[in-house]
Amino acid sequence: MESIKLRKITSLWIITVLALFVANIVLGIIMRLNQGEIIHEQPATFYAHMTTHGLTQIGIWFVAGMAGINYLMERYLKTSYLANVLAMIFTVIGILMLWISTYIGNFHAGWTFLYPLPLKVMWAKWGTPLFLSSILVMGIGWLIWAVSLMTQILKKYPLPKALAWQHFRKNPAIQTPPFILISMITLIGIIACLLGAVLLLAMYAAEYFSNGNFVNDALLMKNLTYFFGHTIANEMLYLGLAIIYELFPEVGGRPKWKTTWYVALAWNCTLVFILTAFFHHLYMDFVQPVGFQIVGQIASYMASLPAASVTIFSVWVAVYRTPIKWSLTNLLFFIGVAGWVIGGLGAVIDVTISNNFILHNTLWVPAHFHTYNALGNVLFSLAFFHWFSIQFSPKSNFEKLTKLKLTLLLIGGIGFLLAFYIGGAESIPRRYSNYPAEFPMAAPLAIAAAVFATIYLVAILIFFFQISKRCLNILFSPSSY
Amino acid sequence: MQNSILLLFLVLAGLSALVFSFVYFSSKKASVEGQGLSNPLRKRFWFLLILFVVLGIFASVTIPKSPYFLFADETPARVIHVSAMQFAFLMSDKAIDSKTPAGESSIELPANQLIEFRVTSLDVNHGFAIYDQSNNLIAQTQAMPGYVNRLRWKFKEPGNYNILCLEYCGMAHQVMRATLTVK
Repeated sequence: MESIKLRKITSLWIITVLALFVANIVLGIIMRLNQGEIIHEQPATFYAHMTTHGLTQIGIWFVAGMAGINYLMERYLKTSYLANVLAMIFTVIGILMLWISTYIGNFHAGWTFLYPLPLKVMWAKWGTPLFLSSILVMGIGWLIWAVSLMTQILKKYPLPKALAWQHFRKNPAIQTPPFILISMITLIGIIACLLGAVLLLAMYAAEYFSNGNFVNDALLMKNLTYFFGHTIANEMLYLGLAIIYELFPEVGGRPKWKTTWYVALAWNCTLVFILTAFFHHLYMDFVQPVGFQIVGQIASYMASLPAASVTIFSVWVAVYRTPIKWSLTNLLFFIGVAGWVIGGLGAVIDVTISNNFILHNTLWVPAHFHTYNALGNVLFSLAFFHWFSIQFSPKSNFEKLTKLKLTLLLIGGIGFLLAFYIGGAESIPRRYSNYPAEFPMAAPLAIAAAVFATIYLVAILIFFFQISKRCLNILFSPSSY
Repeated sequence: MQNSILLLFLVLAGLSALVFSFVYFSSKKASVEGQGLSNPLRKRFWFLLILFVVLGIFASVTIPKSPYFLFADETPARVIHVSAMQFAFLMSDKAIDSKTPAGESSIELPANQLIEFRVTSLDVNHGFAIYDQSNNLIAQTQAMPGYVNRLRWKFKEPGNYNILCLEYCGMAHQVMRATLTVK
């Protein structure tokens, strides 16, 4: 059973993530209002918001997933409290460094910091090293956390068992819980992409300190950037899925899901596909070997198959004509899976090279990734946050305002996302602080998006106050209920 | 084309939402002895197989239409060298010297003939995106320092075509543009 210390650090993670999420949504609304010409900011300020919004969002939902699996993993094995605390310290310091680099240093090269833009200084000279160091600091904290969790898994489950390979034979003697399998697969991906980030940062440092004697290769740097960026953004979704496998049947009062040969096969395949799907970010770089481009499309398609056939189908099977005990937790999981599927459809359309030719870097791109984040991954984490916070709180009506919160989330989320999809179909470029006159729909769409995002924000604020209040009680109570 | 893509997406998204709603309401109506889905393993297999076949067909139809294979067997009638830089596009019939970069003040291209754009960058990554007269994105490639991306295209309609930067390149990214005239 988990320790009180773990409850407290998990509470602290939840409060931190939700507070930063609220701030980050406000940044998003400010950007859409600027694009809608309701407010008027300097382009450099807009791009500083964009850089901050992107990296903060990746950071908070990644650690939200990690905090969730760390907490639930104590059901199966002992985890390191020290690694958890270190990750918290490194994350908070990293986020502070990021915000200082963007808002005091005015660094605004985008969260993907595509080489060599960070080295073409258009901001305070210290902005670039501080921004890159913020990624390094967060990366070190997350690497320690991921390696620590993986080591603990491997102490109990040797690698083949952790990957559930024994399930490929009939009647395996040892069962690997799906939660352990998915966590292990995800942690391998996370460690791989964080090592990619370390290499990327080392190459930046080599050029930065070489006084012009060493210049990196732009294509290699772009591949490394997206190997890190794409992979971590997807792995954080899989952290949410591990939590669903563990909690969805439990909360609904149904038997626990078991690992079978097809679950094991699907997740092992996912590991391969997810590490090669990032090539789709380089489709429009025609000098990239064509073989990689085709691998990118096929791997991106294939990545959807195990996910669809196992996770989504399992959720349908668990619910269809089955008397589930519905609560806010599993409603959030269920709607989150639907949001993930719909965002995935937008993604499959975009990873088709011939479509990407006319969609790449239009608003279609933020459309699909905001779908599986704002109406997918965020809901997975909110479900965990809600479930966690009510475990140790005195009995009260935990389902209060459920209908209102879900209605606001859905109306706000769908409206906000539709503005992106329509913008993508209108060929409106992404990452423009102001839109050119030839896109008359761009500003009205941005205003509509800001209005709907505000509705979404109201729902998140209700979650924030309700969950944070309970988490603060857990954090400051000498013992728990 | 983009509108067809949006329509396809909305239909698929609507169908998904319907399936999720149907599954949810079936649970709300289920009795305590609810049997759930019969033969789930078999149905899962068919679901997977259908998805695999649909995606396989989709891939085999779309991959040959990738821009890398566009007009690959033809010889271009014109070659336009493009050097992108913060925050402008230099375009010329002749190769552009990176030490003394200069482009032509206007570029005129023939309609219905194959044009090859050789696109590079003199500083950071940029996008080279061609918009038609209805402001629809019709073709694009990236401009990357140290590399030349070759984009082949045939303009069907005469008129002015805007070029916009579609890769974030710094504080004036949103005003980085050029124009082509097709006659």
